[in-house]
Amino acid sequence: MQPEETDERNISRRTVIASATLIPVAALTAAAQAPQTALSVSQRQILDAFVDRLIPKDELGPGALECGAANYIDRALADALAAEKGSFTEGLSAVDAFARQAHGAAFPELAADQKDAVLTALEAGNAPGFPNARAFFNRVRRLTLEGTFGDPYYGGNKNFAGWDLIRYPGPRLAVGPDDQKMSSLPKPLHQSAYGSGRGH
Amino acid sequence: MAINLKPVDVAVIGLGAAGGVAVLPLARAGLTIAGIEAGGWMDPHSFRPDEIHNNVRQLVTSVPKTKREIPTIRESPSSPARRSPTHPMMNAVGGTSIHYWAQSWRLKPWDFRTRTEAAKRYGPASIPAGSTLEDWPVTYDELELYYDLVEYEIGVSGKAGNIQGKLDPAGNIFEAPRQREYPMPPLRGTEFTERMADAARKLGWHPFRAPAAINTQPYRGRPGCVYHGYCSFGGCHVGAKNSTAITTIPEAVKTKNLTIFEYAQVTRIAAGAEGRVTGVSYLRGGKEYFQPARAVLLASYTYENSRLLLLSKSKPYPMGLSNNHGQVGRHYFGHWSGFVTGLFPFDINNWYGLPAQGTTVDDWADDQFDHSGLGFIGGTTLHVHTETHPIDAAAIDTFGRAPAWGSRWKAYIRENAGRWTSAYLQTSTFPYETTFLDLDSEVRDPLGDPVCRITTGPRQNEQRAVAFANRKMDEWFRAAGAIEVFQPPANGPGISTHAYGGTRMGNNPETNVVDGWGFSHEAPNLGILGASVMGTSGARNPTLTVQALAWRTAEHLVKNWKSIAS
Repeated sequence: MQPEETDERNISRRTVIASATLIPVAALTAAAQAPQTALSVSQRQILDAFVDRLIPKDELGPGALECGAANYIDRALADALAAEKGSFTEGLSAVDAFARQAHGAAFPELAADQKDAVLTALEAGNAPGFPNARAFFNRVRRLTLEGTFGDPYYGGNKNFAGWDLIRYPGPRLAVGPDDQKMSSLPKPLHQSAYGSGRGH
Repeated sequence: MAINLKPVDVAVIGLGAAGGVAVLPLARAGLTIAGIEAGGWMDPHSFRPDEIHNNVRQLVTSVPKTKREIPTIRESPSSPARRSPTHPMMNAVGGTSIHYWAQSWRLKPWDFRTRTEAAKRYGPASIPAGSTLEDWPVTYDELELYYDLVEYEIGVSGKAGNIQGKLDPAGNIFEAPRQREYPMPPLRGTEFTERMADAARKLGWHPFRAPAAINTQPYRGRPGCVYHGYCSFGGCHVGAKNSTAITTIPEAVKTKNLTIFEYAQVTRIAAGAEGRVTGVSYLRGGKEYFQPARAVLLASYTYENSRLLLLSKSKPYPMGLSNNHGQVGRHYFGHWSGFVTGLFPFDINNWYGLPAQGTTVDDWADDQFDHSGLGFIGGTTLHVHTETHPIDAAAIDTFGRAPAWGSRWKAYIRENAGRWTSAYLQTSTFPYETTFLDLDSEVRDPLGDPVCRITTGPRQNEQRAVAFANRKMDEWFRAAGAIEVFQPPANGPGISTHAYGGTRMGNNPETNVVDGWGFSHEAPNLGILGASVMGTSGARNPTLTVQALAWRTAEHLVKNWKSIAS
């Protein structure tokens, strides 16, 4: 005795086992148009300056800005984090307003040590006129980590510089016993889960 | 008007870890089954080694139904209920067994008889105040057969420590006797997990590799694990993680006795005038259907099991199905756990692997040690494992050694992002009068039904047990060379992947919803599957016990079909 409604997909898809290959770049061409971004030019300048101070370029290599972390955030706010765009842009405006009030200039125009003083105040929740400063600081910091150390597919971690910084050897589809040795990390595999470092 | 479907023998609500196992003995016995599942079949091609996809945005698990029904949570009836932004469980054919860690433990005999055993060894006053702890109506010995059956049916890897009383220190010597070896050897160790094992032995402890529903060699046509490091919150791209979607469910489909209804959202279970259940109402593609059935197995999840019963009011059940004794939602508890972090002065290369690959210690679990004077009963498994993702690695605690940003922080994470790991500690947890589930008084789902509300808060017994285990973990990490250890405070669980109770199993119908076989004390043809029937958690992951119980309940239905279904 069978119910009236059946679904053929039940059976045809039930034990499909993926072949162990990364998705070829060619399969992604449909998504290869320029991705949407969310921020205005001036908002983006504030964000660029912010992530640049969180992880600066120095003798250890590129910083968050060079890794494209701001690019990652800008795209995410137009996509997966679209619901957060309003509160995020308000936060950027509040950072800029606080910079003008405390140091007399727009945040991107400040000297590095002045920018750091602004971030220190935000981190401590000690920015008059900006009640959510600490939460906003933590959110930007978290998203900067995602943009610096996430898969390059999403617009950050340019040239795998984030993974190289922390010596993460990159995703691979199969890992042997030698790849898990403590004494010798495997050779970095500069590859996105999506087959290329360029992303969508 | 609902579309009335042709009757089936059994309607199974939810094809996850529990329902997905139960359909197999039913289908093999020739019963017709409607498997009603709120999600659909997942395509293994969509499983990616991508931390943003799996772990940050949780896109493997982010399917609509559970998200619309996220429970609210509060510490007591007088405090406000908050709603979490996420729900850790998912809807799919295979359910959360698609993305879980696949740790597949048997509970200990002590877990089934905690009240009796604790009172015997430490006196009746050792039973935590306010707890509603009861011995299970099932013993370990009765469940052993079903543990064994499921281990071989889905495929569990591990090393036995006790085969019929013969101990083997290569396995867990504290486990209860099993009838035979695991069907596959355990997941391999790494240089780091073996270092942890050596450190444990130096302390006089007994480390071993924990069991997992993950192939370590080809098993029944599926390949072995490739240890690629994206197991947690991700599905397996090669099919080595033995979710029910690739094990028991396809086997049941082969019999042609199981029909699966994907993307079907169950809204009510119907009951007739004499108190028997008559079928299941569900929504699918915007239409309402009624699936008549001679028996119903409810196998959604702990939160939804209680909610669906409470929502299914009828003449014989004015307070909700099978709730004439007011027990639905009672004896709920989330699993207490700890995450202790250790930082080492050398690279540990913990990037790859999987959370089930690691070293476990059972010396401080259950009742393996003397609790006299400690102020708590129960214990904790300590599990150190592999699989660290890069964003998470860079988010490492700074232990006061560096600021949280800037060049000094950058130098800190360059050195240390690959030098730390978190251990997973799971603690015996018990039900209390003051921990329960009910329907929220304000928050509703888009259909207008109240969501589930969790009431839970700090409990002295569990808090002390976790704090004790945290100190043991600190000792273990340092014995292995850690230079910093961070023990977060023990605050207890929120909305949890290890949620127990609400439809507890027990012989006394005044204090339990289902009997020792998993069938309702009130509605004789309603069976309930899942950790919602468990009265204690044990100090380890629940899934294998859930699956052994599910198989046993389904087998009971088959063996007693005439008396239950007519």
